[in-house]
Amino acid sequence: MVGAAEEARLRRLESQVENGGGGAWEYLCLVRKLKLRRSDQVLRHGLALLNDPRARSKLGGEEWTLYEQVAIAAMDCQKLDVAKDCIATLSKQFPSSGRVGRLEAMMHEARGAWAEAERAYALLLENNPFDQITQKRRVAMAKAQGNISAAVDYLNKYLEIFMADHDAWRELAEIYVSLQMYKQAAFCYEELILAQPTVPLYHLAYAEVLYTMGGLENLQTAKKYYALTIELTGGKNTRALYGVCLCSAAISQLTKGRNKEEKEGSELQSLAVEALTKDYKKRAPAKVPLLTNMLRNMKLTS
Amino acid sequence: MGAECRYELSQTAYIKLALHALKHPSSPVNGLLLGPLQTPAFAADPTVVVSDAVPLSHSQIGLLPSLELALIQVEEHFGGEGVGVVGYYHANERFDDAELGSAARKIGDHIFRYFPRAAVLLLDNRKLEELVKGKGRDPVVQGLVEPRYLQVKLFAVMVSGEEELGERRAPQDVGQVLHEC
Repeated sequence: MVGAAEEARLRRLESQVENGGGGAWEYLCLVRKLKLRRSDQVLRHGLALLNDPRARSKLGGEEWTLYEQVAIAAMDCQKLDVAKDCIATLSKQFPSSGRVGRLEAMMHEARGAWAEAERAYALLLENNPFDQITQKRRVAMAKAQGNISAAVDYLNKYLEIFMADHDAWRELAEIYVSLQMYKQAAFCYEELILAQPTVPLYHLAYAEVLYTMGGLENLQTAKKYYALTIELTGGKNTRALYGVCLCSAAISQLTKGRNKEEKEGSELQSLAVEALTKDYKKRAPAKVPLLTNMLRNMKLTS
Repeated sequence: MGAECRYELSQTAYIKLALHALKHPSSPVNGLLLGPLQTPAFAADPTVVVSDAVPLSHSQIGLLPSLELALIQVEEHFGGEGVGVVGYYHANERFDDAELGSAARKIGDHIFRYFPRAAVLLLDNRKLEELVKGKGRDPVVQGLVEPRYLQVKLFAVMVSGEEELGERRAPQDVGQVLHEC
């Protein structure tokens, strides 16, 4: 999950590095910090750094972290010989290290040797049962093999112990959504919202799950969460603005003929329409007629 | 039902959907297939032409709001030209997953309600990889048609691997899909 400022910095660094302007180490550190999956770029630039003896010696102790990062990126790009070299270098430097052992198990995974990887992870967990990363690798392996129910199982057991791992909750929610188990996905997002109520992403995702579940109550709650997202993002989140419009349209479809709550949501929806129109006028003026027609068809404007 | 339904996939649509899948190698991607809407003369020539593709999303595919918005916008934007949604394409997250998942089926059903001859194209990840390496000559999609999403035979596909990487040939129809309705 990347904030807007960091996203901008990342893009700037990425284009700088890609065009030969240097700053590769800074880029790699940022990718590592934000836990992004840019394996292609990491492999290229990381390898360039490692193959340059002067640059490598400048890194000092950080060199080994770079080896680890490049090894993982190489495995992601299926350049297994590169990964093997990096891991060999690391295991020479840190013999019998758990962290290197984990990389070796990941190599088994990358080659598709699931049983060996499973054994390696089991061994690592025997030595250190609270190793979060290894536990999560087991989940990833189950998912990669297509055994989604096992992945869900493992993830649930993991979350019983490590309830504060937000990334794990998000992963579980996304798996539930892909399985169309929306109630369970909603539960995961509720946990996330309780833990971090000021992160707009969770409110947005929760609203979308509620909308997908359907039904008048869910739609009304979804509208509230979309509204909260708009508040938390200062009105800049287009998806939330559209969400409010969609909810209003759906609710009015469902309550057609029931006169009581006509005026209730209309202020929110007209504000959303206004905000959307302003945004489009600023950023994509050619599409404003498309927007107005759309909103008219949804019966949100006259 | 003895009539044959033909589907023609244009180069633009094919390239767009393949590039969309290649851009996001670690997530499922999906999108809409567009084509000219049928006129009353349709009964005489039951060929569904897919002239364009609109990429939809590469995350959280099972959620409704973005799909609904996209359908509304596409209808709005292309409706004036007589072009509408005639199908849906989907690429799975995992390399060896060649089945149409339940979320994709649901979306396919949704589109089928709009357009009864809708086809769903499922990308074959293995063939896509071969295409990128320049080896494969096979089409990277398999066509699946309602109501039971039976696989459809792909005939006479004249596609060359280099096209994927942006070289445009003369606009000619890239593939024809033939099956018994």
